[in-house]
Amino acid sequence: MALENQEKRPVAEKGEHIIARHLIEDDRIEEEKNLVIDGVDVSGRWNTFILSRVDSDFDRSFFREIKDTVVGSRINRCWQCGMCTASCTVTPLYRRFNPRAFIYMMQLGNLKELKKYVDVAWRCVGCYKCSQRCPKQVNPAEMMEALALLIKKYFPEEVESKLKVDENVKKIYEDMILGHGRLDLAKLHISSMQKMGRTKELIGKIEIDAIFKMVKDGRAFSVLRLSRPHNWRKSKEAMENYLKNIKTIEQTTI
Amino acid sequence: MAENILVIGGGPAGLNAATMLSELGVKVTLAERDSFLGGNPKKFKYKFLFPDMQPADDVIGKLIKKAETNSNIKVYLSSEVSDFKENGKKFDATIKSPDGNETKTFDSVIVATGFEHFDPARDAKYSYQLFDDVIDIKDLERMMGEGNFVRPSNGQPPKNVAFILCVGSRDRHVGNQYCSRVCCTVSVKQAIELREHFPDCEVYIFYMDIRTYGFFEDLYWKAMEEYDVQIVKGRVAEITSGENNTVICKGEDTLLRGPFEIPFDMVVLASGMEGGPQSSEMAKKLGLELDEHGFLKPQNVTLAPFKSNKEGVFLAGACTGPKAISDSITEGGAAAMDAYIYAVKNH
Ligand SMILES: Cc1cc2nc3c(=O)[nH]c(=O)nc-3n(C[C@H](O)[C@H](O)[C@H](O)COP(=O)(O)OP(=O)(O)OC[C@H]3O[C@@H](n4cnc5c(N)ncnc54)[C@H](O)[C@@H]3O)c2cc1C
Ligand code: SF4
Ligand code: SF4
Ligand code: SF4
Repeated sequence: MALENQEKRPVAEKGEHIIARHLIEDDRIEEEKNLVIDGVDVSGRWNTFILSRVDSDFDRSFFREIKDTVVGSRINRCWQCGMCTASCTVTPLYRRFNPRAFIYMMQLGNLKELKKYVDVAWRCVGCYKCSQRCPKQVNPAEMMEALALLIKKYFPEEVESKLKVDENVKKIYEDMILGHGRLDLAKLHISSMQKMGRTKELIGKIEIDAIFKMVKDGRAFSVLRLSRPHNWRKSKEAMENYLKNIKTIEQTTI
Repeated sequence: MAENILVIGGGPAGLNAATMLSELGVKVTLAERDSFLGGNPKKFKYKFLFPDMQPADDVIGKLIKKAETNSNIKVYLSSEVSDFKENGKKFDATIKSPDGNETKTFDSVIVATGFEHFDPARDAKYSYQLFDDVIDIKDLERMMGEGNFVRPSNGQPPKNVAFILCVGSRDRHVGNQYCSRVCCTVSVKQAIELREHFPDCEVYIFYMDIRTYGFFEDLYWKAMEEYDVQIVKGRVAEITSGENNTVICKGEDTLLRGPFEIPFDMVVLASGMEGGPQSSEMAKKLGLELDEHGFLKPQNVTLAPFKSNKEGVFLAGACTGPKAISDSITEGGAAAMDAYIYAVKNH
């Protein structure tokens, strides 16, 4: 499935001459096409270097930067108990999404480590379960927001290459919110299944049974009759305004 | 005639025991090995005490003054109990002091000989005494007490400082399995003091657990939340010298599962408490039992923590295990009560 594909490591050709290659992470291997050291040409298989994994610095400027943001101001409180990760909605789906660990990396300014998680670090769904559980009131949910902002700032290339927004999905999502003021989960489901070419599965036995049940107990109609949120026009205007200004806003928050 | 009670050791525990007994009208003999009263807090010039940063002088100074000015207490400084014999239900003890030997009969005895600081030089991995900028919490306590917070190597303010917890404690390798109880709290307290003094100096604490039990926890929260002290999980396995006159702490960050070698301007070892040679000396001289940790062993740790295995000899303070000053003072009072009851019964 899509999730698994994303977790798979790329097949490495880098460092193929290293015995026990599986013990070394890809980003720890450095190879130059052409390399001359002290006049000696060491191109080819002789110029494979394994970088030390040892951390030799704590960078507190990063910590200070986070602490100065509104969302990250409580970063100094975190004592790494892991309640946030334990309660997180996303972690069971993406083991690599670990709010506790991200906060620690931010505390120690370990950008090297954080960089490895650019693809998942923004996956917080904002359910705030972590913030409700956190014994130190760190507000880890908002810390994930601080993280997302910093990732954009520090790893723009990775964000560009790894976080491609699917314009179609974005459009469906925006239309839904702006048009109805609510997410229509059924519609989202249908459009995503269509995108994956799995329309057939939409009308399997389980789905048909569910539709029957919902028609029978009236739920189907109440879903269709869902009205827009109270005073929706004002919210809608605010959102449209926001979307219009998003570029400027992003620039000023970072 | 009033009861006679011998108190050995003039630290917080012994001082409080002596004072309370004297207030009951008991004639107290207080024998202190050092040339001054006050025990370890005085010896190492503790300045501000956890948990509430009270000036140590307000606490220890008051205890000393009470003992010194009470006519029922006779203080022997630079002295030791050179001879000790049972005499029926009583005890004959010789106090050897610079003024000569004096033998008296006592109705009961309180042992309050306290603890010794673990000597970090015994654990070579920490390079204590090898590098000037590797000190321990008692050294820092003394330095701060003297108003001196700077790096020993060059007299400059440190840019970053690491505390290493559990030095000489919780380590089979050095022979001490127990937790010394106070070193976590002392470390977070000193971390706060350092940050207060040098706001630009980053302070890290390498820990395995942080055991600021009970209300001492407040100080730990304060260190993090108000002073940005950063805790890092992992014990340091080696200290070597680094560039630019730094010392490098080598360890594993167990949360990120990776090795680190971080240079610091100053490293403070949270060395623990030991029973010290005085505990075995007391055990031998008075016929008391030592526990497996090298402290004096109470008859029953839960029911009779102030009673020794010997009738009429009572224990108070850190001689029975690591503890804070408030505990030591409490135990001094409790042992005084036990010793008084015994003395009155057999007087
Ligand atoms: C670095 C450090 C900082 C600390 N800071 C705090 C703090 O801020 N707050 C707090 O509550 N606690 C603190 N503590 C704990 C505190 O030091 C102890 O709880 C307290 O000193 C114990 O008192 P005591 O009287 O039992 O023993 P001690 O203070 O050890 O006193 C024992 C006395 O007995 C004498 N003695 C020893 N052997 C003999 C002998 N054979 N004959 C005669 N006399 C003898 C010694 O000379 C000494 O004067 C700290 C501990 C450490 C290691
Ligand atoms: S953010 Fe809160 S819950 Fe998460 S590890 Fe830190 S203290 Fe624990
Ligand atoms: S708010 Fe984000 S980080 Fe917190 S539990 Fe929900 S998904 Fe996880
Ligand atoms: S009090 Fe803290 S530093 Fe001291 S032995 Fe216990 S856990 Fe280690």
